[in-house]
Amino acid sequence: MAKKPRKSRKQKGGEAEVARFRDELGPFVVSAETTRMAMVFTNAKEAGNPIVFANDSFLELTGYERDEVLGQNFDFLTVRNTSTEALAKVQAALDGKPNGDIEILYHRKDNSEFLAAVVICPVRDERDRIVQYFASFVDLTRHRDAEQHLQALINELNHRVKNTLATVQAIVRQVLRTEPDAAVAREAIESRLFALSRSHDLLTRENWRGAGLRDVLETALAPFGVMASQASRLTVAGDNLRFPPRTALALGIAFNELATNAVKYGAFANAKGTVAVSWSVEATQGGDRALLRWQETDGPTVVPPVRKGFG
Amino acid sequence: MDRFLVGRRVLVVEDEVLILMMIEEMLADLGCESVASASMAGKAVALVENDTFDVAMLDMNLNGRSSLAVAQALAAHSVPFVFSTGNSIDEVWDGFADRPVLRKPFRFEELAGSLSRVLAR
Repeated sequence: MAKKPRKSRKQKGGEAEVARFRDELGPFVVSAETTRMAMVFTNAKEAGNPIVFANDSFLELTGYERDEVLGQNFDFLTVRNTSTEALAKVQAALDGKPNGDIEILYHRKDNSEFLAAVVICPVRDERDRIVQYFASFVDLTRHRDAEQHLQALINELNHRVKNTLATVQAIVRQVLRTEPDAAVAREAIESRLFALSRSHDLLTRENWRGAGLRDVLETALAPFGVMASQASRLTVAGDNLRFPPRTALALGIAFNELATNAVKYGAFANAKGTVAVSWSVEATQGGDRALLRWQETDGPTVVPPVRKGFG
Repeated sequence: MDRFLVGRRVLVVEDEVLILMMIEEMLADLGCESVASASMAGKAVALVENDTFDVAMLDMNLNGRSSLAVAQALAAHSVPFVFSTGNSIDEVWDGFADRPVLRKPFRFEELAGSLSRVLAR
């Protein structure tokens, strides 16, 4: 907490110092007062480096009034328990031996904290004695938050990439263990990878929050031209239930399989078959369960498969 | 080394259906007797409490949420298990540092090796 402002001898001295300062360095003082960079000057000749000048940006950054700042020791904003490394760097700069960038945790008048990048420069008189310190402050809070957000996004992206690679591994393994014909295997792998890719596009449009079941179905069936040319042969009944991303990805591939099968051997393999897709929600002890039905009618006569596969 | 896995009852907790299917297939190839699976932490914990398993593998992240509760249930029931994860840097939770971690994508041999190792302990 800030000490209650009082007009001590120290502060009066400080004010006199500022007045002199203003007289001698007029235009520089005006620019220091008005710049958007928060800055203070301290009196190096007194113990604790009391602040003798603070610009408007500094007051805006910290929430203090000017008379609450003037006369305070330079370190009055330092948050208790701040890193000793940062404190050592401040001390090194005050000793005239700056030691790298200073990032230090400060508090505002309302006790909220902010991470500041601080630059401390000694001001010397004609006899090379340090008479003041000039310090500038940049609020790094937003920068740090943005950095943390970016790191979280990178981690999430990495997680997604690794899971996608494992999914691709699953697709390739599954096809290769059941399909001896290389050309058929290639087509099956491609078909599934493109289905995965279209589901990714859908999820990206939804910011990876999830996707509606109708949208997943439409996205999966789009390349088969079913929605447009065979609309009368496909009926869809059910609400656009929201599913989390991973479930949506799996459903996209499942619909791709069902549609591939329907086009090759099922209801879409002739000119009159129809497909009815419907779903409903049933409450169970473990939560809601969606029951999905894919029903093909009037397709070609079913021939028992030679091999069992994924489709 | 894979002899440890023949005839075993395995629990797989994984929320990506295709990856789960692949793991089930790998476990069948290793001679595991039965494989139960769960894609949600609640269901996985219920399985651990009501069924018996020789070994388990647990995805650390289920639909964006931590599966720590499942790890605790497995530990409480003394079911040996390995973690799987899509993260390449994540540290394992406190108290579970000695558990093997399979990083996706993983090879068949890695899966077999890590499950055998925890069973042989």
